[in-house]
Amino acid sequence: MINFQYLRTSVVKTALNLLAKDPKATFIAGGTNLVDLMKRGVTAPEKLIDINHLPLKQIELKNNVLRIGALTSNSALAENAIVKEKFPLLMLALQSGASAQLRNVATVGGNMMQRTRCGYFYDTTMPCNKRQPGSGCGAIGGYNRMHAIFGTSEACIAVHPSDMCVGLVALEAQVVIASTKGERKINFIDFHRLAGTTPEKDNNLQKGELIVRLEIPLNNLNKNFHYLKVRDRSSYAFALVSVAAALELKDGVISNVRLAMGGVAHKPWRLTASENFLKGKQATIANFEAAAKLAMNGAKGFGENDFKLKLAPNTIIEALTVAKAKA
Amino acid sequence: MSEIDNNQSGDTRRDFLKKTSLFTALSLTPLTVLKAADNKVDERFAELFEKIPLNLKVNNKPYVLKVEPRVTLLDLLREQLHLTGTKKGCDHGQCGACTVHVDGERVNSCLSLAVMNEGKSITTIEGLAKGDELHPMQAAFIKHDGFQCGYCTPGQIMSGIACIREGHANSKEEIREYMSGNICRCGAYPNIVDAIQEVKEKGATI
Amino acid sequence: MEFFVDENDRVDGVDKVTGKAKYFAEYQLPGLTYGVLVTSTITKGKITTIDTKLAKSAPGVLDVLSHLNKPVAAGYEQAGGSPMKIFYTDQVFFNGQPIALVVADTFERATYAATLVKVNYEKEAFNTDFENSIKDAKAKKLQGQPPYIRGVADAYKTAEVKIEQIYTMPVETHNPMELHGIIADWCANDQVTVYAKTQGVKAAQAAIANVFKIPQENIQVNSEFVGGGFGMALKTWPIEIATVMASKHLKKPVKLVVTRDQMFTMVGNRPAAYQKVGLGATKDGKITGITHTAFGQTATYENFTEGVVNMTKFMYDSENVNTNYYVVPLDMSVPIWMRGPGEATGAFALESAIDEMAHALDMDPLDFRMKNDPEIDPAKKIPFSSKNIKEAYKLGSAKIGWSNRKNKPGSIVDGAWQIGYGVSIGVFNASRGRASVKGILKADGTLVLQSATSDIGPGTGTGMGLIASRLLNIPTNKITFELGDSSLPPAPSQGGSATLSTVGTAVNDVCVSLKSTIAELAANSNMDATSNFVDVLKKNNLPMIEVTKQSQSNQQGKDYSMYSFSIHFVQVKVHQLTGVVKVSKIVSVGDSGKIVSPKTARSQMIGGAVGGIGMALTEEALLDNRYGRYVNNNFADYHVPVHADVPEIDVIFIDKPDFIVNPMGAKGMGEIALIGFAGAVANAVFNATGKRIRSLPITPDKVLEG
Repeated sequence: MINFQYLRTSVVKTALNLLAKDPKATFIAGGTNLVDLMKRGVTAPEKLIDINHLPLKQIELKNNVLRIGALTSNSALAENAIVKEKFPLLMLALQSGASAQLRNVATVGGNMMQRTRCGYFYDTTMPCNKRQPGSGCGAIGGYNRMHAIFGTSEACIAVHPSDMCVGLVALEAQVVIASTKGERKINFIDFHRLAGTTPEKDNNLQKGELIVRLEIPLNNLNKNFHYLKVRDRSSYAFALVSVAAALELKDGVISNVRLAMGGVAHKPWRLTASENFLKGKQATIANFEAAAKLAMNGAKGFGENDFKLKLAPNTIIEALTVAKAKA
Repeated sequence: MSEIDNNQSGDTRRDFLKKTSLFTALSLTPLTVLKAADNKVDERFAELFEKIPLNLKVNNKPYVLKVEPRVTLLDLLREQLHLTGTKKGCDHGQCGACTVHVDGERVNSCLSLAVMNEGKSITTIEGLAKGDELHPMQAAFIKHDGFQCGYCTPGQIMSGIACIREGHANSKEEIREYMSGNICRCGAYPNIVDAIQEVKEKGATI
Repeated sequence: MEFFVDENDRVDGVDKVTGKAKYFAEYQLPGLTYGVLVTSTITKGKITTIDTKLAKSAPGVLDVLSHLNKPVAAGYEQAGGSPMKIFYTDQVFFNGQPIALVVADTFERATYAATLVKVNYEKEAFNTDFENSIKDAKAKKLQGQPPYIRGVADAYKTAEVKIEQIYTMPVETHNPMELHGIIADWCANDQVTVYAKTQGVKAAQAAIANVFKIPQENIQVNSEFVGGGFGMALKTWPIEIATVMASKHLKKPVKLVVTRDQMFTMVGNRPAAYQKVGLGATKDGKITGITHTAFGQTATYENFTEGVVNMTKFMYDSENVNTNYYVVPLDMSVPIWMRGPGEATGAFALESAIDEMAHALDMDPLDFRMKNDPEIDPAKKIPFSSKNIKEAYKLGSAKIGWSNRKNKPGSIVDGAWQIGYGVSIGVFNASRGRASVKGILKADGTLVLQSATSDIGPGTGTGMGLIASRLLNIPTNKITFELGDSSLPPAPSQGGSATLSTVGTAVNDVCVSLKSTIAELAANSNMDATSNFVDVLKKNNLPMIEVTKQSQSNQQGKDYSMYSFSIHFVQVKVHQLTGVVKVSKIVSVGDSGKIVSPKTARSQMIGGAVGGIGMALTEEALLDNRYGRYVNNNFADYHVPVHADVPEIDVIFIDKPDFIVNPMGAKGMGEIALIGFAGAVANAVFNATGKRIRSLPITPDKVLEG
């Protein structure tokens, strides 16, 4: 990798100014994905602005909203007492990702910003529209066992690799983003985007912006929940399919439900139709199966990943079943 | 590390230098924090881009260093400080062989830029034993034969200690999950789990 | 430091747990420089230009070596193209081929400069498609082993009950935790020192001497600690030669450590395999015919074959057996032996087919195996030197709770999981070779043993120390076994489960000789024959006595068939909705003679089982045939088992000496620890689900779609 410049600041405004001034600069937080990508030559920033010293690590519950600083480490978030008690689904999702070592360093913001794990993206000699727009998609017609079945485009069928983000989508989190112009807040579901014709853009963060915090409204989804990650080995592997499921049950009837999937799209995939179907219905296997079937509307395989058309609904059913059985 | 000093180095080095700014220069001073944002570029600081100062402690020994920003903590330990107990297994955070403790927490040193560890305290495998007295985890690894080739071992031991400290060593199943970031190709896993469980159950402060 | 808890602890344990153990890349040489490889980005063709100008002008760069400025290597000037002569050709044989070496004063600078080397190629059409090449009659195939026929060929076809199936396996990579590489230091007068990662210091010495045409004595190979090998370090690879070349050229020590992705293309692999097994039996379960045809992949520029169909010839008592083995040359890097070479591949197919037949006959697969277990080697028609398979079956099946198994697949359900049991057998040659060991018995009560063998992790020094300790009645902490140094008495490379048998025999001979010398000295000085050797040496005013012995390869090969055996029992849980397979119980039984070093032997069996889990469930190197490149060449996507994949493992040893094989009565066990394991898992998955997965690895998608 090139011998980039390295700067460090503990002031958010300074960090934003530095970034705004230099198109070849990028922020580095935990660096667990960025350093990896730089070693592979996938990205080559000429200036790194170390934001680890910015005051964005607090976790607090205020006015029924959990506020999580963007520089909170994945492990600190998973171990947080409020998260364990009020948002255990998020804890499970976090624990399903990466390894203990990586989670100690990887930040919440960095987790959101991580790039796809598509092998064609990582190999700079192979075609990849995400890495090099216009070069083609190696995964279409190639090894696409890990790839997307929802919201794909002719340009890209990569998936977003995060587990945490799947949990956050299910929890209807919001993202607070800062720039030199001030702050804005968007729904977490709108943070990541589909590849469309511009797969080089993973998300809707604009140049010069910084994720400063997440906000999660308090809910009653901390009793019947589950995060189920299906993968090729028992731990430390990316998802084939993952499902975040949470139910609010009253006398066996589903009063509230959240469902989101990972490993199936360019962004965490919320299963709104399935949620709507389940609301007000009995928490039965038959209803879970019907909801899972609904979730698959519009799904499309690319050969090697055709199995996900079966694995995904099965995983939904299993996650709901386990969630229901809790408590 | 010696600076290259051949005939062509003057020109070529300049070719490779990136444009500079005072912000960078400021950041070179240890623990200096940028407060202002609108200073002008100053060419005098260009030379500094190649190596910047770094102060850290390794196994309680303070080091005052100058390193290129692209040097990882792992390569700093192995190639410059000659602390080769910490291993390079994949260089991409996918195997855990490079696990060290940074301010007490286990991290993959291969994905950590050395300069990001300014002011931090690093513990490596070389820092565990007290003279001839092995750390309980080291002794347990020998007792339970928690290794074969020994290459992943320093990482497993550093990770195992952290696993107990984090409170994630309450059952074999939990140890397995929380140790899964440390790959052992010789397949000593069951013995490693036995070693960690024994150290945990003995209850000593580690 | 003395930390021995008991004599069975590893002699190098303290070094390994404290970080003191030095692996090749960890030697500090004054003026050390760093090499980084530039690799081809096409699969086949010709390099037309290499532009190194920018790279050479980058800070810290000393030079860039390629075929354009190769330093002369006299051995490469001779005719013949195999093995690959690095930097001696503009031809590209595989994608990721090393084509240039950038040397700089730091690792970071060399790494960056390597990205500045610009290469142009003339591309040619290529073929990396293994399965299509097998199906395509026009595609080139080479005979990998002469065809074997006993009795009638393809007799299974007319049997009362027959099985005919195809079993496939992908490329697997050794991927020891330590990255490959070398430090080479070419000094004045052609004196060369290398710090290598090798399973054979003498072989490495010979390989370097052969390329550079300098006397072997000029070359010192050091390789005390090796961070795993599993076969990939049995060869001195072209990249090591390139580093020696660079050191010669630059007159500086050069260190090369390859990247993890380069481990997939530069240091061999276990070749993909496509196997057809035909099995015939009578209705009452007597095997009447076995036909095993195997295809493996090899390279176009170098050939590789292994014993895929060996065990089929003698494991089961069948009058009629025929085997054939072919290799398909592809535009890929050349394979090399990987733990359980050949047999691990063959055993998966044979042992799956055996299980399929047992099911077809509605027999317990253990009973079926017992019924067809041969008393003597049916291929050679001679007795086995020792074989305790039936006892192993009994001990292992009791331990795993085989009686809980239901013969009807899918019978045991526990919530969302189905549970099944499987068994499979492993076998590997137990003959031995020739090795020399020097023993120095000192008046201070210590014994030093020296041999130019290697240790990639099994515990060579520990085992040798135990052999000597028992023969000479010296505690193991007074015994030092020196290895990994080419100046020591010669020994073969560590491979084929032969080190303990081969080098151990020489250790045995040395100790026996030392013992008789001590007895003679005692007699001459009127001491009791049982006198302590320290007293005897002191009485004779001798600071030490030394002896060197060379063991010979076993001469009983004509009269006895010598093998180690293993039986693996596994219990698996298969998730009904997600297809996830978890190995939940393992019992591995080793029938490998007398166990010399019980602690390290158990670890080796455990390690084999873990490797077997990988082979069965997770490992698969994926090469995109459109580009000729691997797409999962890293530890995140090439899944070797992690802690969470591995349950507790019970190891049982038969522990009966086989003195025909060697004076310790011990047989090798590194290979049998893994051979057969994958078959046991596949058979257990069938028993759990009724789904027969004939293509490894058994990933959730295959179970779901099966």
